[in-house]
Amino acid sequence: MKDIMFKKLKILSDAAKYDVSCVSSGVERKSNTVAGIGSASSAGICHTWTADGRCISLLKILLTNDCVYDCGYCVNRVTNSIERASFTPEEVAELTIQFYRRNYIEGLFLSSAVKNNPDYTMENICGVLEILRYKYNFWGYVHVKVIPGASPLLVQRSGMLADRMSVNIELPTRKSLRILAPQKKIENIISPMSLINNEITGTLEDKKHFRNTPRFVPGGQSTQMIIGATPESDSTILALSQNLYERFNMKRVFFSAYIPVNSSPMLPAVSTMPPLLREHRLYQADWLMRFYYFRSEELFTENNKNLDLEFDPKMMYALRNIDKFPVEINRASYEELLRIPGLGVKSAQRIIKERKNAELSYDSLKKMKTVLKRARYFITVNGKYYGNIKFEPEAIKEKIRQKEMQKQLSIFKLL
Amino acid sequence: MDYLYDGTFEGLLTCIYCHYKEAAASGIYLASNYQQTIINNYKVINTDIKKAQIVSNAIKKISGEAYIEVYYCYLSNACNKENIILDFLIFAFKYGKKTMNFYTHEKVLPLKEISLKVTKEVDKFLGILRFSDIGGILFTRFSPDNDLLILLIGHFADRYKYEKFIIYDERRNKAAVYGNNFWEIKENIYIENLEYSQNEKMIQKLWKQYFTDLAIKERTNVNLQFQFVPARYRKNMTEFKNL
Repeated sequence: MKDIMFKKLKILSDAAKYDVSCVSSGVERKSNTVAGIGSASSAGICHTWTADGRCISLLKILLTNDCVYDCGYCVNRVTNSIERASFTPEEVAELTIQFYRRNYIEGLFLSSAVKNNPDYTMENICGVLEILRYKYNFWGYVHVKVIPGASPLLVQRSGMLADRMSVNIELPTRKSLRILAPQKKIENIISPMSLINNEITGTLEDKKHFRNTPRFVPGGQSTQMIIGATPESDSTILALSQNLYERFNMKRVFFSAYIPVNSSPMLPAVSTMPPLLREHRLYQADWLMRFYYFRSEELFTENNKNLDLEFDPKMMYALRNIDKFPVEINRASYEELLRIPGLGVKSAQRIIKERKNAELSYDSLKKMKTVLKRARYFITVNGKYYGNIKFEPEAIKEKIRQKEMQKQLSIFKLL
Repeated sequence: MDYLYDGTFEGLLTCIYCHYKEAAASGIYLASNYQQTIINNYKVINTDIKKAQIVSNAIKKISGEAYIEVYYCYLSNACNKENIILDFLIFAFKYGKKTMNFYTHEKVLPLKEISLKVTKEVDKFLGILRFSDIGGILFTRFSPDNDLLILLIGHFADRYKYEKFIIYDERRNKAAVYGNNFWEIKENIYIENLEYSQNEKMIQKLWKQYFTDLAIKERTNVNLQFQFVPARYRKNMTEFKNL
């Protein structure tokens, strides 16, 4: 490896860092089924955490940042004067192997700007996959981006080798996409999504009949959209992600708070801070839809189309539907337990398991490490309410605000 | 009667066997650390593989989960782990298959908490071990709180099947050595800092540069980073070292 690699890696990792997805989960593969280096763990493994607190699991780089498109929100757009660089497929493969051998990474996450045309770029991505899988016999995790507009044959060829594929939907509505990314067509984004989904369901069906059917994209597909660059409300965004989960069996829909990189009259000013709290609330809502049996419509009301920034979405849901609470811990069903603010999947499962032995008391909830900070206002244990305040939405809100204040004050005292 | 064992898992299980077949144990302790008192009698138990086998089969009959929890607890650095295991097993042999449902029971909870700590540390080290290529052999040193070597080796033996590697626990001075589909753990090993080749240094620098560049300035949150990678783990991680 030569010194030029330092420069290339600098440029191409810098351009890739805004991509959110870095998960290596969903595929379990032991090396005894394959010859060579590498395995995949279904829970995923995080290898390190950067100074912004995000985990690094995969080597996240662009194949090239030399782009022919002119998307308003992107650093790499053709009209920006930045340094351009490209890796050859062989270079990417070697770098991946060298990092992987040292346990720096769990695999590769390869994305790319559109160089020359979508087909040319996709062919290079496919080339990286082929070198890694066939030349180096590498069976670690590989996630590749699909370039919208690339030929379906190339998508299919890559899908046979990759663990996960993703097509970025970029913006929540057709209108925003037309304004900010005029060269990207929504049809070109949707058609590879449905192609991947059809292939996945097809191979799963085949697997029932033929044991050795190769899996197509075993880790499933994901997508990503930018939050805060355009005026869409949270309810539009979540309705779209719900739609994506249902129509294409997406594994994840990622949100990325827009970090102003370009100045343009169509975009927020360069000095605006990225809407990190909003992004956080959207992820909370996303979790509610995926693991807590919520529908996106339940999280909004007629006159409020955005998520509350002060309290989390589940808390707001409970406060609006206060007639469904308090819930009796010893009798509630699993679905009802999941709707209690502050109570997670793990706690709910523990409660179900534990109450088979004996009735639960408030004390045993504490021992189980159930977080009662918010939950205590929405439950009864053996008929007794432990909130110690009036059971009204405003009173509960006020109490929680007070607690937050006290916590902050005590931190000041320590200082 | 206090039972003293030699520090092996089989030794511990032999003590459990003696608790049932000979005299009831008031406590189990590590022979080398035992402090004699006036009140308690003690007896040194010789490890007996056959007796240990009987106990381990009995635990597995309760549930596979129980066996794993006990074994993980044994590997931990908790000071009173032997007695926690003893208490748990007395309880478990009474309640059988139902045992693992009593999450908050005072005999079960301590064991669960300790084994959870060990599980978490294993998961962390699967990610943060950093190998370096020294003459074709991959080498890493680490100093975990609990004795993780045996829990880590399987994962890496599978992942680097055709490589040779050494994982060295510098706190306990033991190392796991792997090559040609075969591994073993060697005790009482001392390894000094090793010299890296030019190529190795370059790849380490490349990684460190990548790691530093990847942080997004606008989102800096160093406290969060400390939660995930505590300072005590950082001294052996390439990206936190001065290269």
